[in-house]
Amino acid sequence: MGLKENMRSDPVSRLNLRDPVVASESSSVREGIQRMRERGLGCVIVIDDQRRPLGILNEGMLRQMLSVNPAVIEAPIRDYMSTSARWVRLTDPVVQVLRAMQNENTRFVGVVDDDGRLAGLTGQKGLMEYVADHFPEQVSVQRIGQSTHYAQREGA
Amino acid sequence: MNTNQNTTATEEFIDPLHNYEPRSYHNTLEQALSEEPVAAIQARPYTSISPQATVAEAIKLLATRHVSCALVEEEGKLVGIFTDRDLLNKVALESELLTHPVHEVMTKNPVFVHDTDSSGAALCVMAVVGHRHVPVLDSNQRIVGIVTPQRITSFLLGHADA
Repeated sequence: MGLKENMRSDPVSRLNLRDPVVASESSSVREGIQRMRERGLGCVIVIDDQRRPLGILNEGMLRQMLSVNPAVIEAPIRDYMSTSARWVRLTDPVVQVLRAMQNENTRFVGVVDDDGRLAGLTGQKGLMEYVADHFPEQVSVQRIGQSTHYAQREGA
Repeated sequence: MNTNQNTTATEEFIDPLHNYEPRSYHNTLEQALSEEPVAAIQARPYTSISPQATVAEAIKLLATRHVSCALVEEEGKLVGIFTDRDLLNKVALESELLTHPVHEVMTKNPVFVHDTDSSGAALCVMAVVGHRHVPVLDSNQRIVGIVTPQRITSFLLGHADA
């Protein structure tokens, strides 16, 4: 089968899921930022004591907040997280991640198991790796001010 | 004499492409990724800012336009990019930097693609390097636009649902 069919038949669990950054409702925005920095991720998912996702705060939301009031970092994260985020299930088809990203205009999508507990994080990075698996393993990388070099995709 | 020579040459001519078989694809998505240039993903409009603008001005610009990346441009040339990730990692907890010029916190030497590269190549660069925003340049290294996560999502979804 080709990429298009695979996206409709492969489950989300087929993607290279990442361990999400999580926080409790009582955490501050500052704590969320520190955890995102430590892990090199652009979002933090707020969960309850059963690890069920309650909301998400991502770097785009942070931009909008900081543009208005830089002091907002001391506020509780629950006051600024989005509670309307759409989660996908491990068993959903990969194309569902694409739809969630477009509908939510985000590049991060939380993944839950059958019990609704947070199981991982995916989004644009996971999707790009999935799509890239269908292409040659050597990639030309060009940077401003530097000469072109060829990089090998991980896992290729 | 000349006629005979021409006839012989014609009879002996072998098309150098006679063994060529065009690449086949499973579907339109694979074909689009392989054959359509980066321009097909949509690279415009884009947001740009001077390297001398302050960090606060850069954040305000991104927020006002609801975009996650500005190309830092000097005399039509790309010198860096300033993204939500730069804001998160370098500025969010360091409010004293808000008055500094954006070139101090931008990502220098950003990865780019040419407008004639295939869209699949652009996606592969993103997968390898891990950058979500990839500027698009023409052959004179002038800015054409930028490939963003939202544009790639729309491109993939447009072909996947077709």
